[in-house]
Amino acid sequence: MNQGLKTARNEGLISCHSCHLLCRSAGPDAIMTCPRCGTRLRRRKPNSIKRTWALVVAAFIFYIPANLLPITIVTSLGNAQSDTIMSGVIYFIKTGMWPIALVIFVASIFVPLLKLIILTFLLITVQRKSSWRQKDRTRLYRITEVVGRWSMVDIFVVTILVALVKLGALASIQAQSGAVFFCAVVVITLFAAMSFDPRLIWDTEESLNE
Amino acid sequence: MSDPKKDVSEFNEVPEAEVRSRKRHFSISIVWLVPLVAVLIGGWLVFKALSEKGPEISITFKSAEGLEAGKTKIKYKDVELGQVATIKLSEDLSEVVVTAELVKQAESFLSVNTRFWIVRARVGVSGVSGLGTLFSGAYITLDPGKPGNQTHYFRGLEQPPLVTADLPGRHFSLKADSRGSLDVGTPVYYRKIQVGQVVAYHLVEDGHTVLFKIFINAPYHQYVYQNTRFWNASGLDFKLDAQGVRIDTESLTSILIGGIAFGNPQVEAPGPPAEAEALFILFKNMDEAKERTYLIKSKTVLYFDESVRGLTIGAPVEFWGIQMGQVIDVKLVFDGQKKTFRIRVLIETETERFYEAGFIGDDVERQQLFENLLKKGFRAQPKTGNLLIGSQIIILDFFPDAPPFVVDWNAKIPELPSVPGTLGELKLHITSILKKVDAMMTQVKELSAKLNHQIEPELSDTLQQATKTLVTIQDTLENDSPLQQDLQIALREFAKAARSVNNLADYLERHPESLIEGKKGK
Repeated sequence: MNQGLKTARNEGLISCHSCHLLCRSAGPDAIMTCPRCGTRLRRRKPNSIKRTWALVVAAFIFYIPANLLPITIVTSLGNAQSDTIMSGVIYFIKTGMWPIALVIFVASIFVPLLKLIILTFLLITVQRKSSWRQKDRTRLYRITEVVGRWSMVDIFVVTILVALVKLGALASIQAQSGAVFFCAVVVITLFAAMSFDPRLIWDTEESLNE
Repeated sequence: MSDPKKDVSEFNEVPEAEVRSRKRHFSISIVWLVPLVAVLIGGWLVFKALSEKGPEISITFKSAEGLEAGKTKIKYKDVELGQVATIKLSEDLSEVVVTAELVKQAESFLSVNTRFWIVRARVGVSGVSGLGTLFSGAYITLDPGKPGNQTHYFRGLEQPPLVTADLPGRHFSLKADSRGSLDVGTPVYYRKIQVGQVVAYHLVEDGHTVLFKIFINAPYHQYVYQNTRFWNASGLDFKLDAQGVRIDTESLTSILIGGIAFGNPQVEAPGPPAEAEALFILFKNMDEAKERTYLIKSKTVLYFDESVRGLTIGAPVEFWGIQMGQVIDVKLVFDGQKKTFRIRVLIETETERFYEAGFIGDDVERQQLFENLLKKGFRAQPKTGNLLIGSQIIILDFFPDAPPFVVDWNAKIPELPSVPGTLGELKLHITSILKKVDAMMTQVKELSAKLNHQIEPELSDTLQQATKTLVTIQDTLENDSPLQQDLQIALREFAKAARSVNNLADYLERHPESLIEGKKGK
């Protein structure tokens, strides 16, 4: 499909990621640096698939404790109540605050899971050198990149609450281990999305002989 | 990369990339450390969760008031030990079954002696507790109790136990005739200091006594000796006697909810410290506790062949004026051999008094002593205790003239021979007195008859004479009687004479010479 396309790789050229200087490649296995800024030159993100896989797997593992362990303990008048993300959502649904429940559900449960699933899907299709709907898959990747950071909303809310609600015996909120795991999921998926090279989606036509 | 050489000319101005030698080569990317760490952490969490997973227990309560599945905690000494998982009704809907997940640590001390109860805010006469749960909600707490067989099924207490296993102190039992105003939680006082409380009470199987279980906190339990006396110190002790009005109470609380006090008799040396679970008698009041030193009692039966009117149950048995016991039963029995009725009186004597008097010995020696006493004439005798109300008592004394008696030691209750009571003798005396009085009364009767028949006619004549005399006197003294008239004339004459004498005196004063010369003519 892109057999006749003139790509940098096809032309034996390479672009620096830092200063975007176009350089001539010295060969497929050579270790090259940018002659202008000295940054290491790579045709594609190195070990993109392996790295992304590793991070995605790690994120999946952390996703379990992030959702099972409580993220906050709310102590009000001596009554301590620990909440996981899901119990918080259920609480807001029960009290009739649908919008808040929806925001938390989307940002904290749906989006991280969606990202992980998209990344897994992309990785599998890239590994199988699938040429199926490459454009749509690239769009999926862009969505992953854009939406990923919003999952941190939950962590920020917890952080702010912990800092603000310090009323001694009256009420206090403490972050729990679940928050740490959730943060890890978000950060690791961010890195996973970063380490994934979307150009690989389009490399299927060329032989991945590197 | 089909034909690179052909395109090179187009990018001649593009600089050549610098080439470096390959320094490192990792066959496995370092990035795989991230999922490895994730697996390690995840694995550790799973291991921790599994290793900390303790037993799942179920507790039955009457009601699940204040409990919430997934929220209510199980705490011991305010340390969280678990959480209520589910709350269900029992099959017959009469109870609530609470299942709870405990931490692993709890496994070791769960036993059949472990008690669970719900901590709620409680307001009672003796205090307020669990106020914190007003805000935090109820929680379940436990008392590990003594180690025992392991179990995972418990019956929750409705009321928190007053004494938990970790509380230092000692349990004792008290025996009383009735519950009185005592209840679970009633304080126990020693020298007016609250040192413990009533933990439980129940009716003994025979239905005659109530058994209280009390707990004395350390270090006060060391003041409970084997001869310590407990008494009911409920309410006010109000006394009105020659010394005035006295009101005494242990504390304000004991007025409201009653109380038990204990003390040690001052006349005796304190005995050895009481063992845990030792049994004591609960006396009705302090006076009784102080008097009733003697707990060992023996029964003796007496037979009387005369009326024991006035001898009631509870009447004292005295020996030389000292109370030794009391009458516990009086009844009429038929003596088949003698074909006659007898009165059987059962008495209870405080045997300890004999020990106190210096006699120490075993049963055989006691029997010998008893027989010896009998030889000396030791007998029981009914005696009038109070002449006013006619109450009788039993006295023990030596009657050397009493007929000999052999004790049948095989009888269920040994018999002490009796001598006729003083009332019988008194009756004889009274009869003789009454006879004399009777004789006297006859004489009085004869006298009065004599007076009636002989003296009365004469007296009547005399009276008639007297009446006549009086009439005569009356006639003589009347206004128109001759005597009266004569008397008046005489008086008038006498007045005239007096006037003449007066005239004469005047004349003589004026004419004293006339005495000699005589009256001069005009």
